Amino acid sequence: MKKGHLTFKVFALIILNDLLDSVAQLGMKKGLADTGISAVTFQNLVEFAMRSLSSWLIWAGILIYVISFILWLVIIYRIDLSIAMPVGSAAYVFIPLMAIIFLHENVSPLRWLGIAFVILGIHFTSQSKKRAA
Amino acid sequence: MFTVVKVVVLVILSEVWNVIAHILFKKSANTVDMTGIRGLSGHVDYLKKLLSDKLIWIGFGFQVLCVATWLVALAQADLSFVFPLGSIQYIFILFSAHIFLGEKIDRMKLTGTLMVVAGIILITMS
Repeated sequence: MKKGHLTFKVFALIILNDLLDSVAQLGMKKGLADTGISAVTFQNLVEFAMRSLSSWLIWAGILIYVISFILWLVIIYRIDLSIAMPVGSAAYVFIPLMAIIFLHENVSPLRWLGIAFVILGIHFTSQSKKRAA
Repeated sequence: MFTVVKVVVLVILSEVWNVIAHILFKKSANTVDMTGIRGLSGHVDYLKKLLSDKLIWIGFGFQVLCVATWLVALAQADLSFVFPLGSIQYIFILFSAHIFLGEKIDRMKLTGTLMVVAGIILITMS
């Protein structure tokens, strides 16, 4: 395999990495909401940190981030960073599509346009012929 | 209004830490010779090599800083506002990968990156 080309395998790894990141993100957001602190100031910074770090959801999020980090190290070994990053945005397409198919969510025309933009953007980026030396 | 400015500054700051971290990770990955890596054991060796490189750990420090800054931003604004702002990272990465890693920018990559950013903004704001 020639280094730098977006193969299906690398693409699949990037998607898996995206999914792990999304789960981590959701867990952390839920964990933060559970702290009951809506605005962080200097006064409640310590309390905010203590409450966040005592939430298992925050820790689960951190653990999943570590796993996705290891996976990311394998991905960037195989491909330019400036290709891997935009391709990683495929999550913005897969998650709404899954929500449409499995949750029967309605999608606004503007959101469909956004999905189309991301798909085309990934396509263009992966067509980039110049590679780092 | 003040909160909006604060959140925007926090998100940009968070993405700057993020980009520095990714440049360091990739710089470290680029030092590994690519011919030998095959199978599970090859990948384990590769990861061991990377994890013994201090660039990775400095990058990891920046990543922690990024997440901390991101969390502070998230705690005072909705994810649906913070997330589209974060897509600025793709533009930051495009240019810093060119400057610090010698990755080429051609018309395809530039167009693709801008479309991705526009798409993310449309998806997350609509």
